[in-house]
Amino acid sequence: MRTKRKLSTFVQGFIIINLLWYGLSIFMNLRVLPTPFMVYQKISLLYTDKIYQHILVSLYRVLSGLGIAMILGIGIGLLIAYSGWWNKLLNPLIYFTYPIPKTVLLPILMLLFGLGDSSKITLIVLIIIFQVIVSARDAVQGISQETYAFIHSLGASKYQIFIHVTLPAILPELLTNLRLSVGTALSILFFAEAYGTHYGIGYYILDAWSRMDYISMYLGVVTISLVGFALFIAVDLLEESVCKWKQ
Amino acid sequence: MLEIDQLKVVYTSNQQSINALGPITMSFEQGEIYAVIGPSGCGKSTLLHVLGGIIQDFEGQVDFNGDRLNANKYAIGFIPQNFGLLPWKNVEKNCLISLKIRGMAIDQQVKDRVNSIMKRLNIHNLMNRYPNSLSGGQRQRVAIARAFSMNPDLLLMDEPFSALDSLTREEAQELFIDLWNEYKVTTVFVTHSVEEAIYMGKKIVIMSHCPGTIVEVIDNPLFNHMEGIRHLSEGTNESLRDSEKYLKLSAHIRGIIKRGWKK
Repeated sequence: MRTKRKLSTFVQGFIIINLLWYGLSIFMNLRVLPTPFMVYQKISLLYTDKIYQHILVSLYRVLSGLGIAMILGIGIGLLIAYSGWWNKLLNPLIYFTYPIPKTVLLPILMLLFGLGDSSKITLIVLIIIFQVIVSARDAVQGISQETYAFIHSLGASKYQIFIHVTLPAILPELLTNLRLSVGTALSILFFAEAYGTHYGIGYYILDAWSRMDYISMYLGVVTISLVGFALFIAVDLLEESVCKWKQ
Repeated sequence: MLEIDQLKVVYTSNQQSINALGPITMSFEQGEIYAVIGPSGCGKSTLLHVLGGIIQDFEGQVDFNGDRLNANKYAIGFIPQNFGLLPWKNVEKNCLISLKIRGMAIDQQVKDRVNSIMKRLNIHNLMNRYPNSLSGGQRQRVAIARAFSMNPDLLLMDEPFSALDSLTREEAQELFIDLWNEYKVTTVFVTHSVEEAIYMGKKIVIMSHCPGTIVEVIDNPLFNHMEGIRHLSEGTNESLRDSEKYLKLSAHIRGIIKRGWKK
């Protein structure tokens, strides 16, 4: 039922955006703004232009970045929430570095980690990890002491308390954070793939742009949007399976 | 037997130490049900939290059967005011969590026991539901089932019925007493209602203002005799006599309350 509703929302959104796009392209009548039909006619490029390869490379970068940022970020967030000592050590660091726009670090990362995937993944991690740390820490600290009273009365171990109370209590917030991070990671990806690579959907769009192959460029845009949407759905499914009680 | 010796709880707030409870010395007999009544802020809940092992920073001593009261050693069923159900576990898992944490094997015998308790409390058809989708009364029955399902050595309840509307409350109290009469678990519960203390407490413990100490412990002659008073329709001589006793007892407790919880 929920999946059906979501699917119909998706179809509605898809139709609306294409109608707007179509109307705009007819109205502007420019070569740089083709109609959706002209783009979709070239859908075979997905295969002949090997767009799927670009998608796979981009997915690898985004998912590695997201994975590393979530795991490290949640770990550090929990460490800060649980340990006063780590909190004292890391809190000033996070407070100081949080507002720095990390995208400006790309040149430095490329000098340090080379032009390959590691500098791109590191950039994604650097940007996302701080929000993850802060939200994991706040989520743990936001659990009221009352929630723990019952489990304390059973003489539960720290591990049991974590598994049965803390973790499930913070999961919804972590998933909300993951959802936001997916969007952020895709934006960073486009920026990071502008340099030092010949693969990735970001590269594909920029390359098509520089060759003035606008149809391919738009196809790239449509593709990266669909990838983003697919990741969004994946988070939805994850949420539905691990947070059943929320519905 | 649960023995409390010179129990005192002090906590610091704004660099001032505040005496929240005690000193209290008292013993609770096995297989009895104690109603602790006192003004709000007198430390009733604090007392319960000490007994439940939730507050571990206290002075004095709390012994159970001649041994330090320890949540790892004895099964303590604790029902907080908000029932303390875990929202992410369904009713069945909520009922079994105490057993799981205490490392007790969940075999057929245990399952049968839990099932029969759930049936008694009429929540067996809610097994797969999550607490968010239950009414207050249902949640409370789940909390009671959870406490009884691990066959506790000691049952602690913090104003267990105060969150319910009056009709649900009476029904829940009757169900609880019914179940208690079967298992006779040593129970300490906190309440601010005189009526509830008389209905549910075999012994009634009256506490003073903050820092709470014990003013008086009353043997309640009306325990298990309240049905007649509640349902006066039968109008037997006995229930009339009981209702006289009830008025006297409640007047006595109210008297203490009026004098400012002093003897």
